[in-house]
Amino acid sequence: MFENVIKAPLLTRRFSLELRQEMAWYWQAMIITASLAAGVVISVLILMAAGVPAGELVNEFIVYTLLDAESLKSVLYQASPLIMVGLAGSLAFRARFWNLGLEGQMIFGAIAATGVAIFDIGPTSMRLVSMLIAGMLGGLAWAILPVALKIRWQVNEIVSTLMLNYIAANFLFHLLYGSWKDPKSAFPYSPQYETFERLPDIMSGISLSVPLALVISLIVLWYTVISRSSLYLKFVDKSPSVAIATGIPFTRVILFTVLMSGALAGLAGVMITAGQEGRLTHSFYNGYGFSGILIAFLARNNPLAAIATALLIALLFIAGQSLQVFYQIPFAMVQLIQAILVICVASSDFFIRHRIRRIASGAE
Amino acid sequence: MSQNNAIHLEHISKSFDGFKALSDVSFTARWGEVHALLGENGAGKSTLMNIVSGLYGPESGSLYVDDNSLSLSGPRDAARAGIGMVHQHFKLVEPFSVTENVLLSLDGNLTARAYRRRISEVAGKIRDKATELGFQINPDARISDISIAEQQRAEILKVLVGGARILILDEPTAVLTDEESESLLEKIRDFARRGNAVILVTHKMKDVFRYADQVTVMRQGRTVRTLVPADVTADELVALTVGDSVADAHQRAQHEAGEVLLDVSDLMTAAVNQARRSLDGVNFQVRRGEIYGIAGVGGNGQSELAAALMGQPLSTEGSALLGDENLLTMSHARRRECGIACIPADRYRSALAGPLTIAENYALGEIFSGHYGPLWFLKKKKIEAEAAQAVADFDVQGVRSLRQKAALLSGGNAQKLVIAREFRKTPSLVIVHSPSRGLDVKASMAVRQKLVEARNAGAAVVLISEDLDEVISLSDRIGVMSAGRIVEEFSQPADRQQIGQAMVNHV
Repeated sequence: MFENVIKAPLLTRRFSLELRQEMAWYWQAMIITASLAAGVVISVLILMAAGVPAGELVNEFIVYTLLDAESLKSVLYQASPLIMVGLAGSLAFRARFWNLGLEGQMIFGAIAATGVAIFDIGPTSMRLVSMLIAGMLGGLAWAILPVALKIRWQVNEIVSTLMLNYIAANFLFHLLYGSWKDPKSAFPYSPQYETFERLPDIMSGISLSVPLALVISLIVLWYTVISRSSLYLKFVDKSPSVAIATGIPFTRVILFTVLMSGALAGLAGVMITAGQEGRLTHSFYNGYGFSGILIAFLARNNPLAAIATALLIALLFIAGQSLQVFYQIPFAMVQLIQAILVICVASSDFFIRHRIRRIASGAE
Repeated sequence: MSQNNAIHLEHISKSFDGFKALSDVSFTARWGEVHALLGENGAGKSTLMNIVSGLYGPESGSLYVDDNSLSLSGPRDAARAGIGMVHQHFKLVEPFSVTENVLLSLDGNLTARAYRRRISEVAGKIRDKATELGFQINPDARISDISIAEQQRAEILKVLVGGARILILDEPTAVLTDEESESLLEKIRDFARRGNAVILVTHKMKDVFRYADQVTVMRQGRTVRTLVPADVTADELVALTVGDSVADAHQRAQHEAGEVLLDVSDLMTAAVNQARRSLDGVNFQVRRGEIYGIAGVGGNGQSELAAALMGQPLSTEGSALLGDENLLTMSHARRRECGIACIPADRYRSALAGPLTIAENYALGEIFSGHYGPLWFLKKKKIEAEAAQAVADFDVQGVRSLRQKAALLSGGNAQKLVIAREFRKTPSLVIVHSPSRGLDVKASMAVRQKLVEARNAGAAVVLISEDLDEVISLSDRIGVMSAGRIVEEFSQPADRQQIGQAMVNHV
């Protein structure tokens, strides 16, 4: 009965579709790799159609970016906030909380940090540290409302976090067009941060945000792999009813993990304003929320894989920037390529979960 | 009306994995009659009806429909022979409409084109049948939008539109209110009167006396007797169902109970919307070195009592004192510290996370105490070593690796894993709910053995089970639960019939 339902509409009469019980990890890895490769091929074809010669693509993506020390530094620099949002996404998704509000949390992180800078809070020697802490608290604060609503009244967090992004963005505009606007600038920007308020370069020109991202990654890895909470988190993720029945601190684990996710997103916000931008701008967060979600998705919420994926996406960003300069390729093309890769990996899931079989001729 | 028998079974036997579920059963139902099949849980009623409806093949014996010998190779065969069964747990696709569900169960292809052609035709047939039976139903309603009673009508219409003349209903009134039950059974009786046959699988005496023309009593895989309900009293019928065997105490060495360990008093669930409370003031005491069995017909508050005692989220009033601590408000960490072991009925909802590994599931037993390392470090090696030891000690079979998913264990071995975890330290209080549900005989024996061992080692054991045999053979004292209370208590040697009566009389 069940098979008829599935067979008839989904495929022609010559093939049938079956659910798979389990699949060895190496097969899964192969299918994901193959679908990524398919995504790369499609992307290359699109870029070639847009006028980039195939040989130049290899140069741009591998020779000029990975094999050049300066470019490699900028890939790492670019990767740091991406790693933060990628980990933020993975963490929240592991607690079964679909945090689509990474951008809102980034905005409030950056606003809190900029507030510390604008109002000159604390001694100058401690300014950067207090800005980073303020950024984490700001992101965390913006995650409190949706997680509390979810725990208390089962309010759907997909909607609440997404909508809070708009509120955060409009509040940011309110500040940047209003009291925080830099009088010297025509754009909706805050005044420039002082030098001691920006992430400095340390040894041989690597920005402080790179080791910072490394340390935070280690903390997240400790939380999700080594600590006792790692086991709590597994039960909350895979079997909520058992977690509740056996007394695992269910709501506490969700609360803590989601707030940590918000804090990481807030930190990503500060990394950008105190790094690349040097001030609070009206669009510093653009695209990062989406990237964070897709990194978590591509990495299957695995923190280590999220770090690797974030590096790849950063590579795509940097190479995309030079394509923009040299071939007038719009930045939207970079986002298109991201989207193509995501769709390919998402579709691979179908092949992992189903088996397609040829039906012997004659049988229906 | 034909003088032939609608269904006639001769010398049917069926066993599962060495356990004889049916031995030499004969059964006859006639056209025009409602025939009740009465018996306790596990008496073999459902197995027998699954054979009639083609789900199981019998090992031996023969089946006649309308006096023609028949061998069924599946439910479709049975449907073609005019036999339709409505299972206790409905088999409906929730997002689909009533008509779509009926269409799904019919023979023939289901391509998009055929669907469009047949859907209105089937809806018409459903309306005709519903009018004929006097059922109220909207064929276009989605299953998920309609009440349980309506879903049941949809199930009945499904088999009748399929052409069934022999209707088997498995515990149809278990999910209905009294009025709904009466209305349904009256219509079903009218259906039988029109020259069809109805087999009513039940354990409710009331339904048997009011609606059945014949009743066949089953006990321990055999048919005991077939009679006309009007010829017997309720007491005689109860005696036939539960049998006159006194509890077989073979595995129960005499044991002296110690002082009271658990004192449950006035335990109630919070009242919701003025509905009846599922627990309505439960009172009992359990001593050290004693198994206190709680018997009763399913759905009288057993699940809620188990949930409350096991510390699962449930809002309750009253108390369950363990010394001077209240079990109902104790943290899980403290429960583990006190040596409270819980074996819930639904393993994969309340005890084991199927997608996680055996070792991870085992670790739950000591995760809160710091035995496996402080908050900031989980000693995975230690967990695996101890899990390996426990798997060996408790004879959990089918473990290829400790990193294998728990969902891959068979029912019996999953239960042994739960016991291995809960009994890793000698427990002081054991709370068990239907410990052998879904297990084969060998695994059930092993599980019961562990309970007796725990009792002999001085633990107080609360055994909540809907299997009366299990309760009687294991318990030192028995409380009968009905409508959310303990209505009567029995000491061993307990009289099976009295317990059986206490179970049904208070309903």
